[in-house]
Amino acid sequence: MFDFQTFIQLVVSGISVGMIYGVVAFGYQLTFATSRTLNFGQGEALMLGSLAGFTIMTQLASHLGIPMPLAYLLMLPLVLMFGMAQGAVVEWLGVRQAIKTKSEAGWIMATIALGIIFKNLAENIWGRDTFTFPAPLPDAAIQIGGIRILPMEVLIVCGALALMAAVELFNRRSIYGKAVVATSADIGAAGLMGVNTAQVITLSYALSSLTAAFAGVLVAPVTLTGASLGSALGLKAFAVAIIGGLTSGVGVVVGGVLLGITDRLTGYYISTGYQDVPGLVLLLLVLSFKPSGLFGKSAIKKV
Amino acid sequence: MRLLRRTLMALAATAMLTAPAFAADAIKIGLSGPFTGGSASMGVSMRDGVRLAVEEINKAGGVLGRPLQLVERDDEAKNDVGVQVAQELINKEQVVATMGFINTGVALASQRFYQEAEIPVINNVATGTAITQQFKPDNYIFRMSAADTIQSNMIADEAVKKRGFKRPAILADSTNYGQLGQADLEKALGAMGIKPVTEEKFNIGDTDMTSQLLRAKAANADVILTYAIGPELAQIANGMAKLGWKLPLIGSWTLSMSTFIDNAGVNGEGAVMPQTFIQSPTTPKRKAFIDAYQAAYKVDRIPSPISAAQGYDGTLLLAAAIKQAGSTDGAKIKAALENLNTKVEGVVTVYDHPFTATDHESITANIPVFGMVKNGRVVAENPADLEGANAVRLKAK
Repeated sequence: MFDFQTFIQLVVSGISVGMIYGVVAFGYQLTFATSRTLNFGQGEALMLGSLAGFTIMTQLASHLGIPMPLAYLLMLPLVLMFGMAQGAVVEWLGVRQAIKTKSEAGWIMATIALGIIFKNLAENIWGRDTFTFPAPLPDAAIQIGGIRILPMEVLIVCGALALMAAVELFNRRSIYGKAVVATSADIGAAGLMGVNTAQVITLSYALSSLTAAFAGVLVAPVTLTGASLGSALGLKAFAVAIIGGLTSGVGVVVGGVLLGITDRLTGYYISTGYQDVPGLVLLLLVLSFKPSGLFGKSAIKKV
Repeated sequence: MRLLRRTLMALAATAMLTAPAFAADAIKIGLSGPFTGGSASMGVSMRDGVRLAVEEINKAGGVLGRPLQLVERDDEAKNDVGVQVAQELINKEQVVATMGFINTGVALASQRFYQEAEIPVINNVATGTAITQQFKPDNYIFRMSAADTIQSNMIADEAVKKRGFKRPAILADSTNYGQLGQADLEKALGAMGIKPVTEEKFNIGDTDMTSQLLRAKAANADVILTYAIGPELAQIANGMAKLGWKLPLIGSWTLSMSTFIDNAGVNGEGAVMPQTFIQSPTTPKRKAFIDAYQAAYKVDRIPSPISAAQGYDGTLLLAAAIKQAGSTDGAKIKAALENLNTKVEGVVTVYDHPFTATDHESITANIPVFGMVKNGRVVAENPADLEGANAVRLKAK
């Protein structure tokens, strides 16, 4: 018997989980566009942002007596700044040297190593357990025609879309953003036109970690937070980035939502034991038939 | 990538661990547990319980006139890391005995090396039934926790006989712990003529249980039985609240983990699970232990009281066995453990000949009681279980 309501409930849950993957994958896409490098510590950037946000929020609440929804709003700009700084540090320590020496794999090792260091750091500061992130919205589910959804899940979807729209707008409208787009299009030509491409790459890393930090405080009330938050999400998001295409902002959103929904549907209609299989199959199919991703532009490598 | 990660971790570990000065004639005891990741609250509590016991023993003059020295290693709850830890503790550190494990998978993967090296293992927390059955005769593996068969029988009994549920759904994680526990649960339910209406699986780190819960709902389940660890258990309780569909939760002892209680909040209230120890001063020994733990680690609630208590007791038994053996030879310690002549008063119970050559389980089915989550703490579901003559439950012979 096909129960339509259950189907919609699964799709809704899939979208909200998929949007979490998408917003993390969006960060991969940002740095890849400008420098053809990725921050393999993207998951850790998300985790750090989330934990930093947690600390800022609890400090605001306990020392200044600011109530929760307001504390959440006040925390946001601070966390975004924290994310930018963290991204700039990653680029400065891990990526710049590799790009300068045209090292093919140096940045892979360096960003992974930095990720591990950030994780250990977080374990020392915040401990190793998973804990609850105070939600800015009530945790009672809202009901729309029999479908139940948490207010936080709605916020995740809207917040993620708003963030990605804001970054796209920044890239298209602001002079700095135009430098980013120019560098993505052709780093050599952009350099000749007077764009400081090294600075643009730093900026893209800062933006990438900014989205990660924002994603961290956005998803944490639902996923719980802790030093191990990054590893699980980072890996899943990487698959999403490959499926959607590393060069396309829209692609990662679609890829994330696609993966989130297929996971849920397979879990319910086939077996929860196979919940992760369709995602991997999708990944393999994309890699075999369209390696640049569903929405990616195929790269032509000139040697 | 993996290699690099390993190398970096190994480097970091060596840097951290070469620091303390070694007493020349200390007796080295290995300690393997997850001090990071999802089962860290159990690993750290066990470690802290073991440390407390070691401190007390050393303060009283040590064993055989020598202090005990712990060699602690983080097995990260990963089977392969557990194997590396075992090889390091055996070959490099040359420990006399090892205490561990939290995770059944890690225990099964690592204990073979101790068995081959004839080094006794006191398994403080892992509950997989196979752990003490893997090697026979001449088994070097001893257990302080309630094996899964004991727990699964208790869970089935509580759900079916005491509360009269007929349509249980089992939700278990995909680790050895979850899957072996699920098999034990099926067997226990089968013996009562009950078949679970559905069995659902999820991975460590999964945050959304919608599919699993909707399947249980579609199968018309009347109770949820669980075999998983804290964070995912909390997601089950929270997921039910989200779907506006609440069933009683009965599960293995991990429902007492702080990561379940704190992250599920009100949604976790009323969950019940078998417990060998509940943080409540029901005997003077328990009171002394709880006070010492709280003072040493500056906490009010022990993150995983069972792990701490079993770790503490395991250390006392090991020390008593080394003393009785009069030697640090593995075979002699094993023989002493199998015929321990001194009564040892522990936190969980009083151990009077806890092991024999054929029985390496210190806990029998009459010892654990049901704990229940109430106001963010685990209390006895039925307080009379731990009052008066019931307070100390001795091993059934």
